[in-house]
Amino acid sequence: MRLDLRSIWVWLSFAMLALLGVFLVYPVANIFLASLGGPGRGEGWAIVFGDPRYLRAIANTLLLGTAVTLAAMGVGVPLAYLTARYDYPGKAIVSILPLVTLVTPEVIVAQTWLMMLGNNGLIRRWLLEHGVVLPSFYGWFGLTTSMTFIYYTYAYIGTLAAIRGFDVQLEEAARSLGSSPVRARLRVLVPVVLPAILASALLIFTLVVGNFALSMILGGRVELLSVKTYQAAVSETTSNPVLQSTLASVSISIVMIVLFAQRWIVSRGRFEIVQGRVARPSRLRGVMALGFAAAASLVVVVSLLPLAAVVAGAFTVSRGPVMRWGQWTTANIDRVLSRSPEPLYNTMTYAGAATAIAIVLSALIGYLIVRRRNAVTPLIDYITALPLALSGTALGIGLIHAFNTGWITLTGTAAIIVLAYVIRRLPFGLRNASSTLYNIPRSLEEASISLGVPPGRTFLKVILPLMAPALAAAAVLTWTTTVAELSTSIIVYSGGRETIPIQIFKLIEGGLMAQASAYGLVLVAVILAPIVVATRIFRIDLFASRA
Amino acid sequence: MRIAIDRLAVAYDDRRVIDGLSLTIDPGTIFTLLGPSGCGKTTLLRAIAGFVPVAAGRILFGETDVARLPAHRRNIGMVFQDYALFPDKTVFENVAYGLRARRTDDAAVRRRVGEALDRVGLGAFADRLPAALSGGQRQRVALVRALVIQPDVLLMDEPLSNLDSKLRHQVRETISELQREAGITTVFVTHDQDEALAMSDRIGVMNAGRLEQVGAPAEIYRTPHTAYVADFIGAANILSADLAAPAAAGATVRLAIGGRHVGAVCPQPLPAGPVRIVVRPEDIAMAPADGATDEMLSARVVRRHYLGAKTGYAVTLTDGTRITIDVSGPDHDRFATGDSVAVRIDPSRALAIAP
Ligand SMILES: Nc1ncnc2c1ncn2[C@@H]1O[C@H](COP(=O)(O)OP(=O)(O)O)[C@@H](O)[C@H]1O
Ligand SMILES: [Mg+2]
Repeated sequence: MRLDLRSIWVWLSFAMLALLGVFLVYPVANIFLASLGGPGRGEGWAIVFGDPRYLRAIANTLLLGTAVTLAAMGVGVPLAYLTARYDYPGKAIVSILPLVTLVTPEVIVAQTWLMMLGNNGLIRRWLLEHGVVLPSFYGWFGLTTSMTFIYYTYAYIGTLAAIRGFDVQLEEAARSLGSSPVRARLRVLVPVVLPAILASALLIFTLVVGNFALSMILGGRVELLSVKTYQAAVSETTSNPVLQSTLASVSISIVMIVLFAQRWIVSRGRFEIVQGRVARPSRLRGVMALGFAAAASLVVVVSLLPLAAVVAGAFTVSRGPVMRWGQWTTANIDRVLSRSPEPLYNTMTYAGAATAIAIVLSALIGYLIVRRRNAVTPLIDYITALPLALSGTALGIGLIHAFNTGWITLTGTAAIIVLAYVIRRLPFGLRNASSTLYNIPRSLEEASISLGVPPGRTFLKVILPLMAPALAAAAVLTWTTTVAELSTSIIVYSGGRETIPIQIFKLIEGGLMAQASAYGLVLVAVILAPIVVATRIFRIDLFASRA
Repeated sequence: MRIAIDRLAVAYDDRRVIDGLSLTIDPGTIFTLLGPSGCGKTTLLRAIAGFVPVAAGRILFGETDVARLPAHRRNIGMVFQDYALFPDKTVFENVAYGLRARRTDDAAVRRRVGEALDRVGLGAFADRLPAALSGGQRQRVALVRALVIQPDVLLMDEPLSNLDSKLRHQVRETISELQREAGITTVFVTHDQDEALAMSDRIGVMNAGRLEQVGAPAEIYRTPHTAYVADFIGAANILSADLAAPAAAGATVRLAIGGRHVGAVCPQPLPAGPVRIVVRPEDIAMAPADGATDEMLSARVVRRHYLGAKTGYAVTLTDGTRITIDVSGPDHDRFATGDSVAVRIDPSRALAIAP
């Protein structure tokens, strides 16, 4: 493809490339380069691979990833199959599960498990009174349990979309050839749906590897890569940039390998599924129905528990770490809203700025990639996928090292937090923007140009209004995820710039659950408000371009 | 406005799809680009519009070379196959769009859009969104939207192919009328020969990025210069024959075919040797075998399609050549499958062309 230097789009592409180069490629490249740097070259890798603690952390991370992936698939895949193919009591509520996980920040999930099953937990104490001693929740037990009940939704959503896209006629054809119903189903459905299932499994694996909040709060004595990386980054005494970068590089490498595997599977899995009839769910009755309903409701209850617990905790009397369950107060909320509302302001300001920037960038970059291809745009396409391979911790390390000194110094400013938010959400915003652009016929643009409106104004007058619903959905999703962001901001923030998740994290570390719950409740409100406005008032389908 | 295309070349990623094409379109006429899918019609049209860059050559609108002018400054009207109406704007706003871009004052916009919509019978639909219109109505809005800005040239890329056949005829009429009223030079792209024959002042038959033949509809139909054109426009029998001596343009020659001699006209000079004879099904007469004369070829009916006003027959000659014949007039259906018949090719209607 040629580069036509008279075209404004080519210059815009260069501008975007420069922007991405400075604020995304440079920090990431910096991580890898720094890991090789130091007095003796390759020092960081020598430390990591020479120290059994780090090797153990890597092994533990891989083990945890595998265990959680298997468990989450075990919950999510059957649930998706049941929901796609059967009607059972309480099915309607299962369909809100993706939304529930979306609005529940991980730090709140971690906190809930602690309030229920931690050393001082409600359920643990209640069982103890009845003579049942639970194993400690810190460590493998807590990690796998809590992560499974978050990440199963990815398995659920991925599998559901694949089964729904599957043409029943294929299955009926197989059955008409003489296979029994169950065999027919397995023989035909499995090969078609399997790529989607595997893809979501690998996605879950990468999320576990990058997970910060649950690993930190519930990890106990289990050494994990993300925890070790975070500790290396924030430790005052052994602040070793080379070591931090090396640990971050290990995490990025693992995730990259898995993501490449995922891409490969997805690309091979593009079967020619002609959108035919969607299977009509069959109604279940009797014992089977009750069994399914019970299993599904268990999942729903566990998923909803954090929201319930945070509401209860926020209004519960406490003295220091001790919760007086059953005694109610509004003091916690008062304190959050009137005496220390800074985290709320910070969160809204940073997330608001990041959302605006991310959406503008998504619209522009999406338009360049989809509609104004030139020699530079494929590169932009690759670069904008880079954040998917970065755990929040790794990105945080990259940012502080890249912008600590030099002509762009951001350390200690609010800008670095906003930058972190934008980088983490850009791939998702971009996905929304480009999928909607693919659905806007090129002829509309040409019609406008032929009527005498130049290309730039055509974009503003014709394309942008048509992208608006998708961009609004992307904005809502960006907002809900950035206000809950913890793993990068906790590394790059400086005193006085705490966001709500950071504040909750600190309060949990100090054992102050009631105050943490109060912040949690405010956070959930901040997350929910735009979702309610978007879906109820503007009728925007938030999940239109997921799948 | 006259359109003159001079040695135009258009390339996609260095692959030349159009190479050295020249063409002149007279002011106020409707010119149709006709050809099979993939032959480069859309590419040529989009080059005229300014949506694909020109690798070499000139495109003159009147005296101005627009080949390097951006599309929005060429003052064209364009009508698309998928209508390309702005889905979030009302019919009125769609039609007003180009006028507003030209900073026409509000009163004039309202008047001109109103008149234009009334002209195509859509005045009552001004406040609807395109989604609430039928396909035919949408294409009429698109047409009006392109014309209301009084463009120098009107470009249409298969504007009728998303419509069903009845609507296609109606919209076809509308296009012809509006084009004539506005007296606007028009380039119309289609792969449908009936459409081309019915609507055009002149037709250019395209083949693999070249113009194979340019002429008035009757000219293209009656005297195709190549077997490709003959075959593409209307059903044609294309037979192999031998020419004994070179022939000049316009000469009538006798050709050996199936052991007999038949007459044919040479539209262009031909060297001796193998040639093709092109003859339309309606230019072959058929008689019962017993009434055969020397000029007739023996044949046997192998298939028969009764079509009401005429009957289409497929016959095979003694050497196995298959011909299709349309018989009309009284008793056109009198032959049956298996009948032995004699056929006569009208020598003034048969064309001898290079193989
Ligand atoms: N955007 C494009 N990029 C590369 N090749 C193209 C593009 N558009 C058309 N072509 C090729 O150019 C040739 C002519 O296409 P087109 O002008 O669309 O033909 P038509 O309109 O007659 O069907 C075809 O071989 C087609 O594959
Ligand atoms: Mg075409």
